[in-house]
Amino acid sequence: MYVAAKVEVEKCTGCKLCILSCPEPNVLRYLPETKQVAVNQQRCKGCGLCVTVCSKDALTVSSI
Amino acid sequence: MSTKIITPVDEFADFLPQEYKELVARGPYRERRSVEDLGTFKEIIEEHPHCAGCGVSLGIRLLAAALPSPEDTLIVGTPGCSFFGLVQAALNYSNTAFGNQNAVATGLKRMLQIRFPHVHKDVVVVAGDGGIADIGLDLTLHSWFRREKITTIMLDNEVYANTGGQESGMSRQGQVLNMAPQGKRFSKIPVFEMAKVSGCVYGARVTVASPRKVGRAVRNAILVAREFGPTYVQIFTPCPTNMKFPPNQTLKVAKEAEKDHYTYEEFMSAEVAAYLARL
Repeated sequence: MYVAAKVEVEKCTGCKLCILSCPEPNVLRYLPETKQVAVNQQRCKGCGLCVTVCSKDALTVSSI
Repeated sequence: MSTKIITPVDEFADFLPQEYKELVARGPYRERRSVEDLGTFKEIIEEHPHCAGCGVSLGIRLLAAALPSPEDTLIVGTPGCSFFGLVQAALNYSNTAFGNQNAVATGLKRMLQIRFPHVHKDVVVVAGDGGIADIGLDLTLHSWFRREKITTIMLDNEVYANTGGQESGMSRQGQVLNMAPQGKRFSKIPVFEMAKVSGCVYGARVTVASPRKVGRAVRNAILVAREFGPTYVQIFTPCPTNMKFPPNQTLKVAKEAEKDHYTYEEFMSAEVAAYLARL
C-alpha cells in the first residue's frame, strides 16, 4: 500500500490496544521477546485506527 | 474437521505458500485462543479487499478470533460486504443466495448432527443487516421460531455498503445516503427486540469499540447454541465509505453509538445464565 503505520520503539509499551483496533488480519504482531508491537507494512492500508487508540503516541501513519 | 486435514505431508511441505505454513505452525486450531491473544498467533482471516478503516472487517476479525473451535465451525454467509473477508478465511464457509442463510444453516446443522452425533459442529450465520433484517428477515425469524441450534451474527453497518449506499431497514431514521438523498423515513427495524420474543435463548448487542465484549458475546452465543437453541449477536460495524467520515474515526463513531442507540445489552434465559456461570 502507499501509506502504512510505523511504530516508534522508544514509546511502545506493548499494551496491544492497537492490535484489537486493526481491521486488517496479521498486520500488527506482538513480539514477546521485546514486548512490543511490529507492523507488516506491506499489508497495512494506513487507515490510522491504531494511531487514534494509542495512548503513548507510539504510532504514526506516513507514506512508504 | 480434524487438524490432520490442514497438516501437509512432508513431501509437499516445501511447495505450500508461506501463509499456509504459518497457519499450520502458529494457527488457532490446537490451543484455545481468544480476542485477547490477537497478535500472537496466525489468524484464520487472510488479507481481504475491505476499505481502509472498515468496521465490518474489524468485526469479522474479532469474531473469527473468538470462535471456540474454528476447526469444527461452519460459517454460512450471504452476499454483501461481510462476504469479502470470509471467503478466503481458513475455515469452512458456505455462501448462499441473498437472504437464505438461516434456512441453509438449518439444513446444514441438522445434517451435521446426523453425520457427527458425538461432536459439536457449530453452524454460525454471519451476514450483514441487509441479509438478516431486510431480504432474509422471514427465514431468520422462522429459524428462531423453530428453535434451531444455530448462532446468528449480524454485522450492522446500517447501509447497503457494497452496492453504493442504499438505505437498509437497519439505517437510522433521517440518515442521508448516496442513494437516499432525502433521508430515511422510518426508524431502525428492532431485530434485537424481535429476537427476545422469537425464541432466542441468548442475545447480545455490542459494537466494535468494545472488542472484549464482542469476543465474549460471540463465544457465549456459540456455546449456548450447542445446548439450548438459537442465539443472536448484533455487532455495530460503522462504514466510513458510505457514512462519509475519515477511516481513522470508525472506533470513535462506534463509541459514540454506544452512548446513544447502541448501548450494550445482553439477554438470556435462566437456564442459560446457570449454564454460563458453570463454564
